[in-house]
Amino acid sequence: MTEKGLESAEKIRKLVGGSSYSYCYQCGACVGDCPAARHSAEFSPRKIIMMTMLGLEDELLTPDSIIWDCTNCYNCYERCPQDIHPIEVIIALKNLATRRGAVPDSYQRMTKVIHEQAASTSMTPTMERRRKELDLPDLYPPPLHEIRRLLEEV
Amino acid sequence: MSAELRVTPFFGCMISMKLPQFEAAVRRTVDKLGVELVDLEGFACCPDPLYYKTRDKMTWLILAARNLCVAEDAGLDIVTCCSGCTATLSEARAMLTEDEALCAEVNGKLKAIGREFKGTIQVKHIATLIREEIGLEKVRDSVTHPLTDLKVAIHYGCHLLKPSHIMQVDDPDHPTILEELIRAVGATPLNHEEKLLCCGKACNDPDLPPKMLLEVMRSVNKLDVHCMALICPTCFDSFDFGQIKLKRMFDEEFHIPVVYYFQLLALAQGIAPAEVGLHWHKIKTDNILEVVGAENA
Ligand code: SF4
Ligand code: SF4
Repeated sequence: MTEKGLESAEKIRKLVGGSSYSYCYQCGACVGDCPAARHSAEFSPRKIIMMTMLGLEDELLTPDSIIWDCTNCYNCYERCPQDIHPIEVIIALKNLATRRGAVPDSYQRMTKVIHEQAASTSMTPTMERRRKELDLPDLYPPPLHEIRRLLEEV
Repeated sequence: MSAELRVTPFFGCMISMKLPQFEAAVRRTVDKLGVELVDLEGFACCPDPLYYKTRDKMTWLILAARNLCVAEDAGLDIVTCCSGCTATLSEARAMLTEDEALCAEVNGKLKAIGREFKGTIQVKHIATLIREEIGLEKVRDSVTHPLTDLKVAIHYGCHLLKPSHIMQVDDPDHPTILEELIRAVGATPLNHEEKLLCCGKACNDPDLPPKMLLEVMRSVNKLDVHCMALICPTCFDSFDFGQIKLKRMFDEEFHIPVVYYFQLLALAQGIAPAEVGLHWHKIKTDNILEVVGAENA
């Protein structure tokens, strides 16, 4: 591992919380069952781990990086013989990209909706009507004040 | 029936605001299984484990912890009905109970709203609650109209099972929980080759999800089934509406009705199809009703 690699390893280890990807021996077990890798010529959890080990993660921290194509299925987490938890490293990379503002629009939109409504989607008149038809209870108002207060804390 | 088990339901944004028929199916069916669902004020988005967590894990954890506190304050275990909510709330709970320093940090923030995570309640997906706490025997006993001739392709998706050391539902490679649940309503479960495949929802490259979906639908189509059953609203959305998109994109046509497990349980308990919104699905469910002999009232 390069010196730059060690630095990034430390930074990401903090974000991932304990598991260290420095023991990845590039076996590829994480790739075999990765649905994103199956369908994309560029995506590979092994490649992402390797680039990070070499301290090249800057190249991955862009809004159009392959890191955003991980579908969060956790197969790599189950498969890796070294307990590297590749998905957690990918999430850590996404967190780093977010700090730099290098995030795809879809992520920005989702965050805005959750922060403004305390929900990931909005109620529509059709759905109001369906809830009534199904005789479902009214939804409680979202706890916006608590969410706002917590967001001031972070 | 008097309630033997009191829990608080966490339906989540997608079910309560986009697929309320799933909420109706859960409410109506578990009522017949001796479960009392106690609705609590104060829940917010879980928050979403695909976009929100990957953007900023710490904020995700704090907001998830707040939801757990709402249930803790009422002394009730949470039952989730969506695999995404299950993933967020189970993982957040595991992180906070396994890491004292992290828990202290999160509680430092929660103080601002007068809350504290104590780790006193459990989180379970409703499918798991049924198999493990209510028991399949009770499900079988609640069935008045067994779905005898119905052949069902089951689909697991990701977050009911994985990460397996946190979810602890089944062997993630050889799960049986959905098979057992389908058998309990008298129908025949069939395993399709890609029953564990992700629906692809979270990929940012728009080309990837349809390719995954195509693979799933081709795999289901190899079997002679009347429908596909699952336990996650995100899988549902991807597969139901997704079949229409596939026709446009690849000119491959599929007509495989997709249902939430609790809608099948409802039919088996003699609940009318309209009461669980089967007529709102994009892929028509009439063939299911024909096989099970239910009136689409
Ligand atoms: S499975 Fe683990 S050790 Fe093997 S290449 Fe992937 S991350 Fe590295
Ligand atoms: S979590 Fe991401 S990297 Fe891991 S197997 Fe799934 S899609 Fe691939």
